[in-house]
Amino acid sequence: MKIVCLIKFIPDVEDFKYDHERNVLIREKMNQILNPEDAVAVAFALNVKKYYPSTTIELVSMGPQSIIPKLEELLRLDLDQATLITDLAFVGSDTYATSRIIAHYLTKHKFDLILTGTHTLDGDTSHVPAQIAQWLGLPHLSNVNSIHMNSIDLGRLELSVDHDQEIMSFAVSTPAVLSLQKEAPYKLPYVRYEDLNKDVSERLKMLSLKDFDLKREDVGFEGSKTKVIKTFAQTLNRQTKIEVTTDEAGIQTVYDYLKDKGFLK
Amino acid sequence: MKKILIYCDTKPEDLSLVGAVELMVDEEVSLTAIGYKEQCPSGNSVYDEILLIDDQKVMPYDTMNLCDLITENHKENKYDIILFPSTQLGRILAPRVAIALHVGLVADVTDLHLNHGIIEMIRPAYSGKLLAHIEALGTGPLMMSVRPGVFQPKAVRLKPTNIRELHGYQPKPSQIILLQTRLKPSTEDIRDSKILISGGGGVLEHFDHLEELATLLNAQVSASRRVVDSGLVSRRIQVGQSGKTVSPKLYIALGISGSVQHIEGLKNVETIIAVNTNKNAPICSLATLVVEGDAVDFIDKLSTKIKKNSLNFKEETQ
Repeated sequence: MKIVCLIKFIPDVEDFKYDHERNVLIREKMNQILNPEDAVAVAFALNVKKYYPSTTIELVSMGPQSIIPKLEELLRLDLDQATLITDLAFVGSDTYATSRIIAHYLTKHKFDLILTGTHTLDGDTSHVPAQIAQWLGLPHLSNVNSIHMNSIDLGRLELSVDHDQEIMSFAVSTPAVLSLQKEAPYKLPYVRYEDLNKDVSERLKMLSLKDFDLKREDVGFEGSKTKVIKTFAQTLNRQTKIEVTTDEAGIQTVYDYLKDKGFLK
Repeated sequence: MKKILIYCDTKPEDLSLVGAVELMVDEEVSLTAIGYKEQCPSGNSVYDEILLIDDQKVMPYDTMNLCDLITENHKENKYDIILFPSTQLGRILAPRVAIALHVGLVADVTDLHLNHGIIEMIRPAYSGKLLAHIEALGTGPLMMSVRPGVFQPKAVRLKPTNIRELHGYQPKPSQIILLQTRLKPSTEDIRDSKILISGGGGVLEHFDHLEELATLLNAQVSASRRVVDSGLVSRRIQVGQSGKTVSPKLYIALGISGSVQHIEGLKNVETIIAVNTNKNAPICSLATLVVEGDAVDFIDKLSTKIKKNSLNFKEETQ
């Protein structure tokens, strides 16, 4: 079985830096991390490979070349190949253009399963996996929290989806796109000590616009269907309020307030 | 007249997407709802027309067929705006429809401005630390997903609705088969709660302390993304843009700083009590009552006080 993991490296939102004067995000200074739910997808793919050693896993990511060391770190985990789709022409692509570029690459390749995360911590639109599924004409489910390993060689996958108050079990024919969620019990292993400095560059492939049957106007800002007019860090208006501390008087104030408003009988 | 299509995937009485329409269109509209019977109104409604999807033919979650059905319907009716709620299904269906129609899509819109005829869709990004104003390019239809509960229509005018079942659609064989649905052990929904005791980064490993206070106040426990991301609790109880929009009468925010993303989930909360070591945290500017100090210390002290007073009360009345 061939598994493609779609992964994204995102600015660490905990490390958010904003230039309030120029009203722009200071991206250069932000640390890049693997989107946590994409890590869950890669971890599941590695589990499959453990059960079925003939499995091959390819990572596909779109982003700047600065993420190469991060991709190499992942390649040291028994993954077969990483493909980085990178070109300055792709900068500014919205989810329509992004999904189009990635789907273009995938249409030329055979695979049985595409795994990815349900949410990303930066944009959090959850669009791209569903959009790629539509470009490729494949079924797609999100919030997948477990995939039954035994079903993998049956030509259809049995899996569970976390749907609000319910757990829904589905059978999905392959190839399919599955977005995993953080609650899924798959964790990335550590790189083996002897592999820490292993040269994996041969397994890393880089593609740019010239490798695609796409025109300049199909990608980037021009190929997008939405445009960010402006962004700003929101500030909130202050309201008049009661301020106390956690000393006895403060706790009494809160208690009286709850009583007074009928929250405490 | 603008033609609007709204995908219904919440309760029939949820009119938040209709509320969103009011903010973007200043002329007369024709409102069409599409969805399954359980999610659509059954009589007079705010919609001019309701299109019911036959669940024997197309199952919810079969987003390939649902997408084709909506696309076919759009080709017949040429809508100006198509809206989806940002429910779990809406979030995977809307992107498919956007690709099928080759239009842009904006996710989780939390505010809308009509600026010289251009509709600006506003959504949080970077975990709510930024708000982005986004404009759709191209010829339309305009598509977005809207967080349920964020907008409310100003006035609700019911009218006779033409309800029709969509029989004509011939689905392709489904590639997704539902095997089983089972309820999770706890079926409480934080959206139905009158009082929420919510914990954030300031309580993390002491999250279990919240339960005691919740029991005493007959409340439910919810959490910020920080706690959910740390794996301590399920996303099911997460408040905020990537969690749920809640509308309790009382929201006690314990050790939650209040990212814009979190605050997006609190649009209809009546009263907020914020407990934080930093009284200038964003959440405190929304709170009626701010308690400066350690949230875990606060929980324990308040719980003790409530227990002691209820005991005194019992003794007095006996």
